[in-house]
Amino acid sequence: MILGRVVGEVWAARKDARLGGAKLLLVRPHAWYEPAFATGHLVATDEIDAGVGDDVVVCLGQPARLSRGRGDDNTPVDAAVMAIVDRVEIDADGAARAGAAPGIHRRLELPRGLQPPRRPEPPR
Amino acid sequence: MRGTVVGQVWATRQAAGLDGRKLVLVAARDVDGRATGRVVVAIDTLEAADGQDVTVAFGSGARNVLRAGPDNRDLLCDAAVAALVEGAG
Repeated sequence: MILGRVVGEVWAARKDARLGGAKLLLVRPHAWYEPAFATGHLVATDEIDAGVGDDVVVCLGQPARLSRGRGDDNTPVDAAVMAIVDRVEIDADGAARAGAAPGIHRRLELPRGLQPPRRPEPPR
Repeated sequence: MRGTVVGQVWATRQAAGLDGRKLVLVAARDVDGRATGRVVVAIDTLEAADGQDVTVAFGSGARNVLRAGPDNRDLLCDAAVAALVEGAG
């Protein structure tokens, strides 16, 4: 799993049927994580009602796919919110000794141009 | 994977079946014990303290730490502390 902060929500008018009504969150990882290192974020399904600004633990790969499919491995999901974080304590000296990514010491702000979402107007 | 615990994470609201367990931040090491700069979050059932060298199981191995298979595919977990390391050669 990785640690990140919810920075937004995604709505989709048309999506894969196997996604069902999944709520999709934009999560910006706090620590070093390779795909997000390139894009700065990932999109995770959420079934425990996390909100923008929450720090969350995100589960990746097969367990995330299974969570959406209720045992079906064939869902188009690669990340799922697993827990909403109450508190993190980092051993800063130990992290430095262990060569941990510097990002975990930083409290990330909302990236520029990515504001909390407003719900779209319902169609008339 | 081998790594060192560098932090503790508490989360009361968790996905079903995980029972609000404690999590740890683990800085990964490579096969020679060198730091990689990569940090993962792992479920911790062994009460690993900061500075403790541990091994982390990923994938279905992580689910087996929480509940031995085969009926554990419902658990939303991809990393768990599997052992507290005393020494490595």
